[in-house]
Amino acid sequence: MVAMGYSSGVAGRLRIVEKLGQLPWGLAFLITAVAMLGTGMLYSVTHGNLGESNLPFAHLIRFAMGFVLMLVLALVPIRFWGALGYPVYFATLFLLVMVELSGSVRGGAQRWLEIGPISVQPSEFMKLALILALARYYHAVLKEEDRYRRFWIHIPALMLILAPAALIFKQPDFGTTLALIASGGIIVFLAGLNWKVIVSALAMGMVSVVPVYHYVLQDYQRERVDTFLEQLSGSDPADSLGDSYQIEQAKIAIGSGGFRGKGYLEGTQSQLDYIPEQHTDFILTVIAEELGFIGTTTLMIVWAVILGWGLLIATRSGSEFGKFAAAGAVGIIGFYIVFNVGMVLGLLPVVGVPMPLVSYGGTAMMTVMAAFGVIMSVHIHRKEVYTPRGVVV
Amino acid sequence: MARFLDENFSRRTLIAGGIGGAVWLGLIGRLAQLQVLEGEEYRKLADENRVRRDLVPPMRGEILDRFGRPLASHRSAGRVSIIREQAGDVRKVLADIAELIDLPPERQERVVRQAARNAAFVPTLVARELTYEDFARLRLHAAQMPGVEVEMGVTRSYPRGRDFAHVLGYVAKASQKDLVRLIAEQVTDSVASEDQLQRLRQQPLDGSLHPIHIERALPLGSEVRLKWAEARQSLNTLYQHPDMRTGRSGVERMCDDALRGERGSKKVVTNAAGRIISELPSEDTAPKSGQDVLLTIDSELQRAAIERFGDETGACVVMDVETGDILALVSTPAFDPNDFVNGISQSDYDVLRNDTRAPLYHKAYDGVYPPGSTFKMVVATAALETGVMDPDERIRCNGRYRFGNRTWSCWKREGHGHMNMHEGIKQSCDVYFYEAAKRIGIERLAETARRFGFGKRWVLGMTGGARGVVPNDEWKRRAVGEPWYEGETLNIGIGQGFMSSTPLQLAVMTARIASGGNLVTPRLVAQGPGFVTPDREDAPLDPEHMERMRNAMFGVTSEAGGTARRAGDLGIDGLRMAGKTGTAQVRYISQAERAVGVIDNADLPRHLRDHALFVGYAPYDAPKYAISVIVEHGGGGSRAAAPVARDIMAEAIKRDSRRPPAINQADLDNPATARGTL
Repeated sequence: MVAMGYSSGVAGRLRIVEKLGQLPWGLAFLITAVAMLGTGMLYSVTHGNLGESNLPFAHLIRFAMGFVLMLVLALVPIRFWGALGYPVYFATLFLLVMVELSGSVRGGAQRWLEIGPISVQPSEFMKLALILALARYYHAVLKEEDRYRRFWIHIPALMLILAPAALIFKQPDFGTTLALIASGGIIVFLAGLNWKVIVSALAMGMVSVVPVYHYVLQDYQRERVDTFLEQLSGSDPADSLGDSYQIEQAKIAIGSGGFRGKGYLEGTQSQLDYIPEQHTDFILTVIAEELGFIGTTTLMIVWAVILGWGLLIATRSGSEFGKFAAAGAVGIIGFYIVFNVGMVLGLLPVVGVPMPLVSYGGTAMMTVMAAFGVIMSVHIHRKEVYTPRGVVV
Repeated sequence: MARFLDENFSRRTLIAGGIGGAVWLGLIGRLAQLQVLEGEEYRKLADENRVRRDLVPPMRGEILDRFGRPLASHRSAGRVSIIREQAGDVRKVLADIAELIDLPPERQERVVRQAARNAAFVPTLVARELTYEDFARLRLHAAQMPGVEVEMGVTRSYPRGRDFAHVLGYVAKASQKDLVRLIAEQVTDSVASEDQLQRLRQQPLDGSLHPIHIERALPLGSEVRLKWAEARQSLNTLYQHPDMRTGRSGVERMCDDALRGERGSKKVVTNAAGRIISELPSEDTAPKSGQDVLLTIDSELQRAAIERFGDETGACVVMDVETGDILALVSTPAFDPNDFVNGISQSDYDVLRNDTRAPLYHKAYDGVYPPGSTFKMVVATAALETGVMDPDERIRCNGRYRFGNRTWSCWKREGHGHMNMHEGIKQSCDVYFYEAAKRIGIERLAETARRFGFGKRWVLGMTGGARGVVPNDEWKRRAVGEPWYEGETLNIGIGQGFMSSTPLQLAVMTARIASGGNLVTPRLVAQGPGFVTPDREDAPLDPEHMERMRNAMFGVTSEAGGTARRAGDLGIDGLRMAGKTGTAQVRYISQAERAVGVIDNADLPRHLRDHALFVGYAPYDAPKYAISVIVEHGGGGSRAAAPVARDIMAEAIKRDSRRPPAINQADLDNPATARGTL
């Protein structure tokens, strides 16, 4: 083996054009298809509404920007990602602390940090930063086989997850907290956390539901959980004008779409604004109503293919870092989808998670596209072997 | 690359992918459930979402007395409500309203909470029953207060207040329990299949469940579930209307169906905010007012009777002996049903409930009392029917009657001497009736009592109604678990012991005697929906026997030695009333107490004093009306009840309550003209 400094390994360094050729274009196509569906649905929701008619176009512009971001990130050599892991993580953690100390309050939550004319939402950065840091951590620690089954190696990882999760929970932002715990948890799981620990952690989680509900959750969060439980148990849905109005209306829109849907632009519930947040978190209701079971199932299958593809990329990566980073990125996106669909279908409490690429909204779009960028970078640089000290072996 | 990790990572990834796949299948399954399995149902809901039926509530039918005087009708009252979405800051707008009318901060808080619960476009009630000044002031300023609606609403009103509390009952906002009942009624009317009705009957319909729970327990897609969903939605919206009420008790409850009427509707297309985008006038239907219910009651006589009772508690029934029309049905004290229409406060309700004089209790229909000596005509009739006693046979009364090893006392300690049947009733000799009852036997006595209308609940078209008890061997084995002892028959002979009856039953008995044995059946609803077809299934009573009873009852009020000498003369052209006194013992009088002398009622605490009873009819020679009066804890019947009965009877005759009713059926079928004539 020859130490070559920051140089390529087996595959050698690729030129940009070569890298672009390596890009999983099929995956990029599927991503674009989903974003186009989102644009079409946004047009359906907003056309004819004064002042909102530019929404689909804005969505498209954002997607284009996101796509460029994805490509740029995909071309970044994986060793840079690895090198960025800790610095980005701790910088973002610092910003989160700053938010806690001096952040501005918007919509009842302290999430934004004003730096001069720019306002940033560090919690959003944290999603990616966390998976990079975790991947970097396991990359280093799992070099030796005998460490694999040790429990202690996971303790620093858990702290990496819980520190930002706690800060973000305090903002309060329940959705992002869950996203961090879920995507971080997936990485820890893939890193071989002992089943016994997993089972006991799940059991403890269940036991702590009641105390968390009573002592940790904020009033508005508790209300959402109550609403969810109420409509789940059907205690008062007849009063469809009450708290569970949104969920009831969502169900009506979804159910009334039937198998084939009412046709594009033909959804009565969507066109007459029955559902709040329909262009953001509840956009699935429009797809369901206008495109029917065929439309929703197709979307779910496309997502399954995209995420499966991502996992495949993870397993094929030549470096530990690449494996964990790609899998964590898949975890973030998967989390968005499961929570969004579960929420819209009334299976989960309303936590305010958008449908990636489909819902209108800039922040989530950028996060998701960056996650795809990481996955693609892992794919392109799958043969590039990277060590923590930047030495190619 | 560490190979161990490669394998382990791949395995874990496969597991994670598997779990993810399972979650995916779950989500798709849920989509299939909503969109494919239940799609039809949601499609219907979606259509309703879009095309809203704005309902126009029907006018509830009125309840009128026999002369068409309204007993339950309507009153307009101003109310103010707030629409959250238009008001913006609800608290601020409420504070503005509070400057114009009296609106305590607690009430404001409650409105804020309620408004938050209601949909943004649904008006939330702020205050009702506005005075004219408040209404006018709010009207004037409403334009400057966004989202504030000031309008006139219709409220059920009982112009006669307490007079008809028990008869009419009251209406209230429909509770969950009411809704379940109303939906169940509508569904059972419209679902044909026996099998489906069976399914519905398996659901507990007692109101412990929300209507939606019952709906969900019904099989998906079945006709009964569809009907239930339909009825639930339409009734739910109907009863959300601030003017809608449902009958809770009395005639209001029993005739609720007919009184309710049918709602009208306006079909409008709305958006989600509830804003009307367009109207579909071709689909408008006008509401159909509820039918009026005409009672047999003479409300003026009722008023006079209640006034005569004054502070006494008790009950009074006045009946027409020919038609069975109930002209007065009094139970005092009473509550004001107007207090219940908009919901009575718990504290006010507790006051009513804890009142020992039981204002919530319908003493005339639900109350059971021992008939006491008023039962003696029944015993005498049974003696004649069985032939165990010749009316002229004389029984010696020395104040005591021995049977087995026990002694029964006559109310007159020194005894009545030799008594025949006429004298026995007239002087209310207990010994005579101990002997008569012993000879008749309990079974035969019970059979006769039933033909006088005892032991059965009379269906009158209102809620409640007690059966009372006509005891016999079978009854006692069932109720007490012991066989009948012959000594107990003696107590029944003087209307005590297990025997119990309602004031209404006593009036029916009296009417049957007065009419010479006709099987007079009481009725309360003269015409209209609550009309009850009289049942005349009892075996007839012998007119000759009844003639004897009438003579004896004349003796009670009009002959020397009668127990109610002063109650005979009604003071109207020498018209006389015949009748019978009675005293219902409230406490047990021991042998020991009898030995030293029974304590006088006046010396007892009120709740231990005897109930005073009187039954009678007038005029004695051509009976028109029968009456029964009970004065609770009034003491002896002759002193406390007879004068009350006499005065009420005199009122009935003076007012000529029997004159033909002013309203005919044609008017009732057309509520508009019926109201026009009033």
